[in-house]
Amino acid sequence: MSSAPFSVEEARGLLDAELADAAGRGGLLPADVHELKVRWLGKKQGVVTALLARLKEVPKEEKAAFGAGVNALKQEVEARLDALEAEATARAAARAEAAKAVDVTLPPRVPPVGRLHPLTVVRRRIEHVFHGLGYEVADGPEIETDWYNFESLNFAPDHPARDSVDTFFVEGGGTGRDALLLRTHTSPVQMRTMEGRRPPIRVLCPGRVYRKDDIDPRHSPVFHQMEGLVVDEGITFAHLRGTLSAFAKSFFGGRAEVRLAPTFFPFVEPGVDCAVSCVFCETGCRICSYSGWIEIMGAGMVHPNVLANAGIDPERFTGFAFGMGIDRIAMLLHGIPDLRLLFENDVRFLDRTWG
Amino acid sequence: MKFRLEWLGQYLPGDLPDLATLRRRLTDVGFIVEGTEGEGKDAVLEVELTANRPDGMNHRGLAREAACALGRAFRDVPAPAPPEGPAAASSLAAVTIEAPDLCSRYSARVVEGLRVREASAAVQERLRGLGMNPILAPVDATNHVLWDIGQPLHAFDLDTLAKKADGLPAIVVRRARSGETLVTLDGVERTLSPEDLVIADAEKPVALAGVMGGLATAITPSTTRVLLESAHFTATAVRKTARRHGMHTDASHRFERGTDPETTLEALDRVTALLLADCGGTVARGVIDAHGTPRPRKSVTLRHARLVSFLGMEVPLERCVEILSSLAFGVREAAPGVLEVSVPTWRVDVEQECDLIEEVIRVVGYAALPETLPHPYNPTWSEPVLAREERARDLLAAAGFAEACTYSFVSAEENSPFASCVDGTPPVVSNALGEPFTTMRSTPVVGLLRAARHNVRRGLGDLALFEVGRSYALVEGRPVESRRAAILLRGRRGVHWASEARPADFHDGSGVVAALFAGFGAPAPAFRPAALPFLAPGRSAEVVVDGKVVGWVGVLSGTLAAEWDLGEVVAADVDLAAIPVPPPPSSVEMPSRFPGSEVDLTVTHPFSLSWDTLAAAVRAGAPSELLSVDAKYLWRGAGVPEGHVKTTLTVAFGSAERSLERDEINRWRDDAARRLLAVPGTAVDGIA
Repeated sequence: MSSAPFSVEEARGLLDAELADAAGRGGLLPADVHELKVRWLGKKQGVVTALLARLKEVPKEEKAAFGAGVNALKQEVEARLDALEAEATARAAARAEAAKAVDVTLPPRVPPVGRLHPLTVVRRRIEHVFHGLGYEVADGPEIETDWYNFESLNFAPDHPARDSVDTFFVEGGGTGRDALLLRTHTSPVQMRTMEGRRPPIRVLCPGRVYRKDDIDPRHSPVFHQMEGLVVDEGITFAHLRGTLSAFAKSFFGGRAEVRLAPTFFPFVEPGVDCAVSCVFCETGCRICSYSGWIEIMGAGMVHPNVLANAGIDPERFTGFAFGMGIDRIAMLLHGIPDLRLLFENDVRFLDRTWG
Repeated sequence: MKFRLEWLGQYLPGDLPDLATLRRRLTDVGFIVEGTEGEGKDAVLEVELTANRPDGMNHRGLAREAACALGRAFRDVPAPAPPEGPAAASSLAAVTIEAPDLCSRYSARVVEGLRVREASAAVQERLRGLGMNPILAPVDATNHVLWDIGQPLHAFDLDTLAKKADGLPAIVVRRARSGETLVTLDGVERTLSPEDLVIADAEKPVALAGVMGGLATAITPSTTRVLLESAHFTATAVRKTARRHGMHTDASHRFERGTDPETTLEALDRVTALLLADCGGTVARGVIDAHGTPRPRKSVTLRHARLVSFLGMEVPLERCVEILSSLAFGVREAAPGVLEVSVPTWRVDVEQECDLIEEVIRVVGYAALPETLPHPYNPTWSEPVLAREERARDLLAAAGFAEACTYSFVSAEENSPFASCVDGTPPVVSNALGEPFTTMRSTPVVGLLRAARHNVRRGLGDLALFEVGRSYALVEGRPVESRRAAILLRGRRGVHWASEARPADFHDGSGVVAALFAGFGAPAPAFRPAALPFLAPGRSAEVVVDGKVVGWVGVLSGTLAAEWDLGEVVAADVDLAAIPVPPPPSSVEMPSRFPGSEVDLTVTHPFSLSWDTLAAAVRAGAPSELLSVDAKYLWRGAGVPEGHVKTTLTVAFGSAERSLERDEINRWRDDAARRLLAVPGTAVDGIA
């Protein structure tokens, strides 16, 4: 360290030189500035303190001016070093940040993203529409009795209508109406609901159903249905049509139309097949088999025998029911080419967002 | 089912209907025309008929529907009685109905002196048009009548029927006797049972009633005398017989669905006329017409007001009458707006008023129905078990698991290690598709294992799957279905370039179970060491709530993992219904504004001393300021005696009312340390 300067001017010149030198060496860091502060402003050995110590050597008449000059110098040094300190701190922070910099394009650390199965998502979408129409959701067993699955629903024993639903039976069940079977539709839930509650009834019955079909791209021995049931005074066939139409418009889009055609299900009369105008094309496509219509559900007015079997007076109350395959609708909506994809659980299939 | 346009046209006076229009209108009224082949009179319609309309399964029946749908006239084709010879039929054969409940009518004619030839070109062309091969005229004649008016017929070679004591060839309609056999026309020898309805001669069965004739009594080119059968068998009788023998014929198809007992004579007249034309011969005088239990005639009341309120639309009474009349219903207005409707004998489907309403509206057309909605309705109830399932799905998906959907049945072998997951025995499907679809699963985990294997085989080894579904059991013969949340973890967790991945382990499994409980707002369950046959010993636990086992979690046993070819797999299965879900809060306290304090305690203890014991020792007698006890660090190895673990616990204290003093926290810590030390086998750092 050079010896202490003898005058304020000399000190100022020295300061200028030191700061210029520091600036020339590149940006100061907080430690460098601290060093300068100690050197210039240190209470014991700082340059300013040393300069002030010379006051006693200054002639009396110059003492006041000298003192004022040193004070001014001190303030100047403080101001300049404070400014340098702020710069240095910012510089140090920037360097520290720079040291932590990452390649933001590297693969992110993604927390596990779970997924709902498309059948869950589509089922909830259907339920959502019917919630808006005031439907509640009901539930029932999958291992059913012949009574609930068939006989109470107006399928007489040995009736050929049972041919259309190849049924799995469970060993060790009873016989006749007590025979245990895997429900072939969720309609038994309708019967159980009607037994458990009085009209008005407005329920959805979603669930797993079973039919003895070999597995192929369009068949599965396990699939999923969504049935609906409305029973009240004054329920009409026009209400059924209106409800199916409202569903089609909500679910498939406002321009969807429904078309009903007569068919036969033992538990409804009249029974209808319900088709929706194809929402995938204007002029015909593979999905609608170039017909412009896609069959999506069966429906009908609840058969009076079924109401009576549930202890509901069919003269006073009427109702309608409808049922659709959730799997089929999921396949339609998402262009799923093979039903087996829904049950294989290939994670490349599951790891999608289904809406 | 195929129909020839020309044949339908026989019952529709005037020009043949336009094929496209006919196709559309038949479909509109419920007879779905799936396709057409050819053009002009040879055009063939492929029609899908529902099981309730056997009356439409013949040309006359479908033509009646077509006439109504097209608004055209229907004209029946008369079948004049054939010229008869002097010999009385009753002197040539005898018919007895011994099972009157199964056969309401058995009509028969006898034709003698015929020469069996081929059927006429016209008959052959019609049958070929429907896809059948003509055989011999008598057989083709019976088929022609079946397709014409729907009455199945059978022709016996009269000379092959065994005679009764009175010397007459006998026809007996009866149940088969145990051990009787019959070789049917298809050459198959069939062993009969009393469930079978048969046509027998004086000695033995000669036909399966309504299903198929016997070979020994069939028409051959040398046949000269035939007995023509035209009968009405009950649907159930024919169905049971056909099903027992695994048979399905044009005749059984119709009898099973219901034929018209009133057509038996007319059908005999028609078939006799065809037979005479092709083979000549003399018709014996009279018809043998035996009756069983007759079916009552049906009459149904239709109230116009009910029709309107049921449909939700107006259809004029006159229109209803017009439609029903055109379908051959007898209609009489019994009172103003009340129709008394007699049902044609062939309409087995019409029983009630709603059936008549359908007749009207299907002809009016469903497109005419207005689209209205029922009045608004406020849902007041929801199924709690479904809500719980839905919440579990959302929680597990949020925890990073992919939802799987697996079959409810698995193979017996796959299920058997897991059978103890539920009480009772696994339900077995008696007519399953075969393995692996025989056994209703005892846990959805079996399905998840199948899913895991599918993925691992495709090189997709890091798996986090769940299924919310049912497990099934029979308990004392009654089915029990419980709602489960099942998970499966396999492979690496936390795969990222910045840090080393680790294999999924037991604690990932117990963690998901804990997260599920936490997501439901339920208190954390206890994990109790358990020896479960399908899990690795030492890495398996029962999930316990209030002392009750509600599920399990663990690492799949090495044996099973090897059988499934899966390596290490972590799985869990929890009974959703057993999660003690509290109601949502009705009032909430302000959280404390005073920061809490944490202290650490390090204890060395035998491995056999569980964390639960340590945590319980800390909690027992702790002040109300104790907030939580958590494990901070576990160390086994250097510096820790063999068979021991060094566990650092973090104990948190806090108060809602005040800041805690360092002195009291230290005192509580020291008290806790002493309680830990009181547990046999422990040493606590810093405490002698």
